[in-house]
Amino acid sequence: MQSHETFHEDQPADRQDLEKTWNHIARDLRVELGVGTFDLWFGDFSIVSYEGELVTLGAPGSMYAIWVEENFKICLLSILPNYFPKCKRIAFEVGTAEDTTALPKSLEKPEEPVVVKKKVLSEKVSEKKLLERGRKAGLVEIFRFDNFVPGENSELAWAAAQAVAAEPGKTYQPLFFHSSCGLGKTHLLHGIGWESLRLRPKSKIIFVTAEHFANDYIDAIQKNSLVPFRKKYREADLLLIDDVQFLGRKEGLQREFFHTFNQLADQQKQIVLASDCPPSEINELEDRLVSRFQWGLSTEIHRPGLMTRAAILRSKRDEWGMNVSDEVINAIVERVRGNVRVLEGALIRVAMVATMNEEPLEVSAVPEILSDICGDSEESNVGIEEIKKAVAEHYDLEVAVLNGKRRTARVAEARQVAMYLIRTMTDFSLVEIASSFGKDHGTVIYAVKKVKSKCETSSSLKSTVELIRRRLLRGDSNRSADRSRTVSQSGKGPMEKGNRESGQSLKKDGTKRSAS
Amino acid sequence: MKFQIEKDVFQEALNQVQHVVSTRTTLPILSNVLIEADELGLQLSTTDLDVTITKRVAAKVERTGATTLPARRLASIVRELPTSEINFEVNEDDAATVKSGPSFFKILGLPSTEFPAIGEFGEAKEFTIDQKLLKDALRKTSYAISTDETRYVLNGVNCLIGEGMLTLVATDGRRLAMVEQDLEFPAGNETAVIIPTKAVNELQRLLDDSGELKVALTSSQASFELNESHLITKLIEGNYPNFRQVIPGAANHRVTVEREAFLNAVKRVSLLANEKTNSIKFAFENNQLAISANSPEIGEAEETMDVRYDGPRIVVAFNPEFVMAPLRNLDQDEVFIDLIDESSPGVIKIDEPFLYVIMPMRVAG
Repeated sequence: MQSHETFHEDQPADRQDLEKTWNHIARDLRVELGVGTFDLWFGDFSIVSYEGELVTLGAPGSMYAIWVEENFKICLLSILPNYFPKCKRIAFEVGTAEDTTALPKSLEKPEEPVVVKKKVLSEKVSEKKLLERGRKAGLVEIFRFDNFVPGENSELAWAAAQAVAAEPGKTYQPLFFHSSCGLGKTHLLHGIGWESLRLRPKSKIIFVTAEHFANDYIDAIQKNSLVPFRKKYREADLLLIDDVQFLGRKEGLQREFFHTFNQLADQQKQIVLASDCPPSEINELEDRLVSRFQWGLSTEIHRPGLMTRAAILRSKRDEWGMNVSDEVINAIVERVRGNVRVLEGALIRVAMVATMNEEPLEVSAVPEILSDICGDSEESNVGIEEIKKAVAEHYDLEVAVLNGKRRTARVAEARQVAMYLIRTMTDFSLVEIASSFGKDHGTVIYAVKKVKSKCETSSSLKSTVELIRRRLLRGDSNRSADRSRTVSQSGKGPMEKGNRESGQSLKKDGTKRSAS
Repeated sequence: MKFQIEKDVFQEALNQVQHVVSTRTTLPILSNVLIEADELGLQLSTTDLDVTITKRVAAKVERTGATTLPARRLASIVRELPTSEINFEVNEDDAATVKSGPSFFKILGLPSTEFPAIGEFGEAKEFTIDQKLLKDALRKTSYAISTDETRYVLNGVNCLIGEGMLTLVATDGRRLAMVEQDLEFPAGNETAVIIPTKAVNELQRLLDDSGELKVALTSSQASFELNESHLITKLIEGNYPNFRQVIPGAANHRVTVEREAFLNAVKRVSLLANEKTNSIKFAFENNQLAISANSPEIGEAEETMDVRYDGPRIVVAFNPEFVMAPLRNLDQDEVFIDLIDESSPGVIKIDEPFLYVIMPMRVAG
């Protein structure tokens, strides 16, 4: 019932006729294969010649020719003879400029198919893709290198972060940031992630908090699927872990993390860690982990100085488009000394008052607006001597005793509490604290660790520490002290150990005897 | 030439070089391994004129020299020797005596001068890359190499270097496997070569999971140096077709499946694949995949498994062998199948820069 004309050998086929015939064939192919498939493969095909048994088709590219021949030869051989009665063989001829002029067809966007394909294929580094990958890796967009404001407080950390992002696994392994909260550890971690993603879009980056890592681990154990868990973490090119202090006192987790760490370190993959205290002060962290954390570069981010605080707020102001003058910012940073979050809070509050009043803010108005915030951030104003005095008073001792060499249980505890408070409430370095007691910094590290861990087991010590702290924050160290005391616990360890040892030696004796 | 060598070491080295030797050859010397002894040890070489492998091994050489011995025969003798120490001595007529404990063999060889010299290596582009990276990439692509000798440009892995990327592609006209790996190359090294199947197979055997290898490429030859081994191969001349033409555009539907479970299910169902069309059907619907096969004269098979997919029902037929090949050679736990519709090519992807295009089969009904 087909109404088309057929070619015969004696009829010379001219170009126009061939074109017409191809249109007929195309119609049949569409019916046979479906329009989508036809467009995908035969869109740019044509008939070149017809000689005896051989029909030559023009293909837009040699890859098209190959795939069409492999996949549709039978189909073509069933249709072509309808038009070319003698046709038994098919050959393909490929346009000369196949790879540039003959654009491949795709279903979605026939007009710009090359772009579509490239995207699917090579996943070029489009901004959107990067964002997507970053988010998948656990990175947060607002923390980037370009909005980090480095200052004298974070010089080393900043330089290290840039070095690590540029050449992961080569410079500092691991890189360990520590600082009290709100000073930019997390910002640097995310920044490193984004930067290395930008430089190496295909590297596998994982950002997690230690808590997330722990949850993943617990999940994996429960579901008995440790293999995917290990795979996930041990195949990362860049592992960023925040709040590492969370690993403290979790033995199983530490063991798992230890192996992850080793494997990544062996393969020279970069690990960056952040914690609120130096590795040595993390509670009950296995020594082998401590030593590994200290292995690369451990750097502290200090509280920002005046200039840096101003720079941070200026950059924030520009970022948020606030109408606040430099003078006002200077006034803010002079009053607010806390961490960056407090600073931002202060800026937001000032800006809000300014918009409510609908007029530029006077510098003189700043102190009033910020009166309560300043109160909160007074912590850093507490000095070594004040803390010592408060502690001495609480324990009913002289400050000189704290500084002295007496080591009775009570004095020792008071001294440790004082060291702990100084360490946690001020910015003084370990060495500075130690020298004010006439001790070395190891003692301070030990004291801080001890008090921290004891606080978790002994509620009375905890309340003592909290009491002194609160009193210091209020600034009244004169009230009568709470007299609650803590009894130092005597460990049972040595006894047990002794027993076990003697038991063992007994057994040994026994075997010896039976052997002889 | 006289030397002593550890059995295990010698056996291992012979194993690595003997695959090059072709069993049916017109030139007898090509079935021999060239053994050269110098002060430092031995160097073993085999060639089929296209691919040449040399390997260095440690040996206690008492007298230096060179000879060639039948490679496969020598390998099987060494494998069966009773002691771990082997004494080798070769006289001027290239007859080798092999002593190992109570065993004694005499093997007739051919003079080393007959062994074809390895062609001059011209001006080459050189760089080093990770062995594991190359091994993985070859493993993920080489199974798709075409065996159709009339399309000789497809009888190898197309290897493109440039734009900070190493791209390996293999296709046989029904499926295509590609790995595209970010790699920093020194500028001026952009090039495209086609490494023939045999060299790809030998190279995979030599590559390790760690360390690096030195690659040198000219327009007609490639050299790979690693772990005391050196592989030189002729390249396939010609232009590899523009493979990007057959990679489909953005997909409409993505199915996430567990690789191993999927592989096993396909393997089972394929036992009853239609012999004429050699295809099995995959029906995706509602987080379920039903794989089914139907051979009119034999019987039927069906298996369902959980997948992640929430699009409309799609039924598509593939050649089961083509589905299993990539699954066997990947090691990710999850793979993604991207589909446009029932008649457009499907694409298997993983979390890494890899993709595999597979043509659906047209099935009535």
